Amino acid sequence: MTTRSRDRGYWVFLLPSFVLFTAVIVVPFLMNVGIGFTRWQGVGDPRWAGLDNYTRLFADERFWASFRNNVALIVAMAIVPTIIGLVLAATLFDYVGKKVGPRAASLLRAAYYLPQVLPVAVAGIVWGWIMHPQFGALNELLKLLGMEPRNWLGDPGWALPSVMVIMVWFQIGYPVVIFMSGLQRVDPALYEAAEIDGATWWRRFWHITIPQIRPEIYVVLLTCTIAALKVFGPIFVLTRGGPGGATLVPSYFSYQNFFEKANVGYGAAIATVLTLVIIVVTVFFMRIQDKES
Amino acid sequence: MFKVRTGVALVAALVALAACGGTDQADTPAADGPRTLKLWHYEGADSAMGKAWAEAVKQFEASHPGVTVTFEAKAFEQIRQSAGMILNSDEAPDVMEYNKGNATAGLLSKQGLLTDLTSEATKRGWDKLLSPSVQTTARYDERGVMGAGNWYGVPNYAEYVMVYYNKDAFKKAGVEVPTTFEEFTAALDTFVKAGTTPIAVGGAEYPAQQIFYQLALSKAQRPWVDAFQLYKGKADFKGPEFTYAADTFADWVKKGYIAKDSAALKAEDMGVSFIGGKYPIMISGSWWYGRLAAEIKDFEWGTFLWPGNTMSAGSSGNLWVVPENAKNKDLAYDFIDITMKKDIQNLLGNSGGVPVAADTAAITDPKSKELIENFNKLSTSDGLAFYPDWPAPGYYDVLVAGVQHLINGTKTSGQVLDEIAAPYDENLADIGN
Amino acid sequence: MIRKYSVLVSLVVLAVVMLVPFGVVTLNAVKSPADYSSGGPLSLPGELYLDGIVKFWNRVDFGGKLWNSLLISGSVAVLATVLSVLNAYALGIGRVRGRMWILVVFLVANTLPQEALVYPLYYLAKGVGLYDSRLAVIIIFTVIQSAFGTYLLASVLGRFPHEILEAAALDGAGKWRALWRIVVPISRPTLSVLLIFFFIWTWNEFFLPLVFLISNENQTVPVALGVLQGDKMMDATMSSASALLGILPAVVFFLIFQRTLTRGVTVGAVK
Repeated sequence: MTTRSRDRGYWVFLLPSFVLFTAVIVVPFLMNVGIGFTRWQGVGDPRWAGLDNYTRLFADERFWASFRNNVALIVAMAIVPTIIGLVLAATLFDYVGKKVGPRAASLLRAAYYLPQVLPVAVAGIVWGWIMHPQFGALNELLKLLGMEPRNWLGDPGWALPSVMVIMVWFQIGYPVVIFMSGLQRVDPALYEAAEIDGATWWRRFWHITIPQIRPEIYVVLLTCTIAALKVFGPIFVLTRGGPGGATLVPSYFSYQNFFEKANVGYGAAIATVLTLVIIVVTVFFMRIQDKES
Repeated sequence: MFKVRTGVALVAALVALAACGGTDQADTPAADGPRTLKLWHYEGADSAMGKAWAEAVKQFEASHPGVTVTFEAKAFEQIRQSAGMILNSDEAPDVMEYNKGNATAGLLSKQGLLTDLTSEATKRGWDKLLSPSVQTTARYDERGVMGAGNWYGVPNYAEYVMVYYNKDAFKKAGVEVPTTFEEFTAALDTFVKAGTTPIAVGGAEYPAQQIFYQLALSKAQRPWVDAFQLYKGKADFKGPEFTYAADTFADWVKKGYIAKDSAALKAEDMGVSFIGGKYPIMISGSWWYGRLAAEIKDFEWGTFLWPGNTMSAGSSGNLWVVPENAKNKDLAYDFIDITMKKDIQNLLGNSGGVPVAADTAAITDPKSKELIENFNKLSTSDGLAFYPDWPAPGYYDVLVAGVQHLINGTKTSGQVLDEIAAPYDENLADIGN
Repeated sequence: MIRKYSVLVSLVVLAVVMLVPFGVVTLNAVKSPADYSSGGPLSLPGELYLDGIVKFWNRVDFGGKLWNSLLISGSVAVLATVLSVLNAYALGIGRVRGRMWILVVFLVANTLPQEALVYPLYYLAKGVGLYDSRLAVIIIFTVIQSAFGTYLLASVLGRFPHEILEAAALDGAGKWRALWRIVVPISRPTLSVLLIFFFIWTWNEFFLPLVFLISNENQTVPVALGVLQGDKMMDATMSSASALLGILPAVVFFLIFQRTLTRGVTVGAVK
């Protein structure tokens, strides 16, 4: 944390945020932590319950299962899209942009990003059609190729992998856009020098592109990991955590308790634990990043 | 940086815009001067209820000069999630549609968010119009359990689960409408032998669990329903009723009556595949009736009650409730009263709904007649058994997961029964807290 | 030459795969309900049926919903970007003490599960008379989004060339001037990306608007899409029609903004 001392006075710029954050995030979150120690139905007076919610939570098999499913979604929403996004962004920037033209590159980028624009409720309906066991496009295609049609979202063994594939589709555009805007900061002379030295495209990718946009890579990995920990909408519209809990995730689990079972206290406890996990992940990432810079 | 500044100024103007507007209606319940009745419901404009209630609004405005009705079509999800929050604020409407049952209307009544309608119900004779089994969902005790206590809602239509069937497919397979459970399974067998899966099912939503419940009801008597739904005695999940239901349901999947790949299908999938003529049978509720009537063009279809059962899943429809914070309660009572009037009830019946206080003679369409007569059969023989997901909040998801295990064969019927017993018992311990 | 085309072709194929679901939505939006019931969602429509779109538009007063969404998303995009710039300036360039912990707090704010905030925020909003107002939603999302923007910008500004700032300081420019004259123009590509993200994320938010915008006249487009989900019925063609109407504004917005982004594709670094 030791940097050469600059003149102070910069903290003034943080004031507006400080006020807003206290009101919108800090106070509500502390209230939520408090609710986690009560039995409450959302209206009326909460009753003090001490650690009851937490003892129940750690004994709850569904809670642990939901975290296991979450790990799979981190792979699908953070790790895979980051890798694919890097290759795509570099290809678009360094290859298509230069050899075919900037217009083609931005058109392709738009196509990859569009799924991010799709409201999640709509995406759920559409993927439901594509993966429909009886008339889904995917099974029709497999039948044409002489392969076995499957019950993608309805078979407990396939539901989670299917959701993972959909999430990759959903997420790819985001790293592509971030990495491409990061690549604009890179000095073109670096690439030119490497090309004169006869470095292959892969070598340039590995030795120039990746190191140059390292900050963006961290940003994408971290934000996508957290998005995966919070994932709610896609699960809600695709499977509702089913079949038989095979795709249950913590945020949907807390939602069920908040709005379907009117167990607001228990839901708050789940949300608190989830938040703590997120904080740990965040600190871990930031530490690494801080060391790097 | 001129651009940034204009941007900021523009946003400041927009925010000022966003802050005003929205709540610009002054609802002063002054006896003189113009008044408004704020009405919310979430039925489609083309549904039987939507049509009947639109007519009720017209009649209300005609009989209340100087009162305008401001109607807002709501989303089911929105009401389901935030009803408690809305009714706890001064944004509450004067009268609204709300779901019936312990987990919904019962919970809000217990929290003091709903107006007690008991005196209005006796004064205006609603208690005479509604049959005892339909009244069950209108009354809640101090624990929020339905069936006794004060009136907190008024249902003006009803619903029940039946068997929809494709007459052409039945003719082609040489199958008659079954009258006993044995004939029913024999019919299902005939279809399977001919290479068709007979029953359209949606396992990801309510349809599959309702079939499961119908099977349990085929072995059950009223005391069993009272125990399971109204907590009057112990609900035995390992008893003959549920055991039979789970075993038979799993067996039906094995025999091919129910498609093995239906676990992730939604109710919409089920309905669309029946309308498309892909399945000869659909077991679901009267809420499908209007849509089938509008969309089935290529074949003849009909309905019959689940063969051999004296009881069936079904109940009153959703309730009219008056929030405790409503500003014009007197107008709300008048409006509810109009929806109970004969001509509105008849319109509801002729549009494909199940009215609760109509003239049987005034229902002209033969299919609608059949629908209403079947309901009356159930209602007069005290055959409405409510729905399997009612007894505990959030029980719907539990049952969906349980029945999905039966469809996929991922758990034995014994394991599934244990799985659905646990949340039920947990809730039982919470009742009255 | 061959290689160039094989790369290009595979990129185009991928783009087509990404766009298939949009095609499916459009297909069903112009299909009559009877057509859908008999042929399923993947059949070609027998006729161009636009009633679903018209019916939906009128049923939910879609014009009003568009305006609400535009107002909320637009305000949030600009306000959150301004807040992010102020914060990132202090953290990335100013390097104030405890910078890392402040960043962590910001990030956690962005990442709190919304379900965890909804009940407390409801009681707070009711207390200050902002329940059922668009302003409440704008404030909440401005804070949530700017938390992310702060994090992204701070890590980008952390590598900002200090010689430029030192030169500006020698010329007697204060911190404000340095921020608006030097830092903002140079980080413009990142700022446009932030604007787009904030707009689209806010546009697609469903959960908090559903809870906070009670009156129909305050509701946003995604909440209006939810109106279709009736008690036990949902007509697939109408929901496709609504989906199409829901996607279009965001797509148009994105395509317009694309142009500001493309200028930089071959320009390279701003040094």
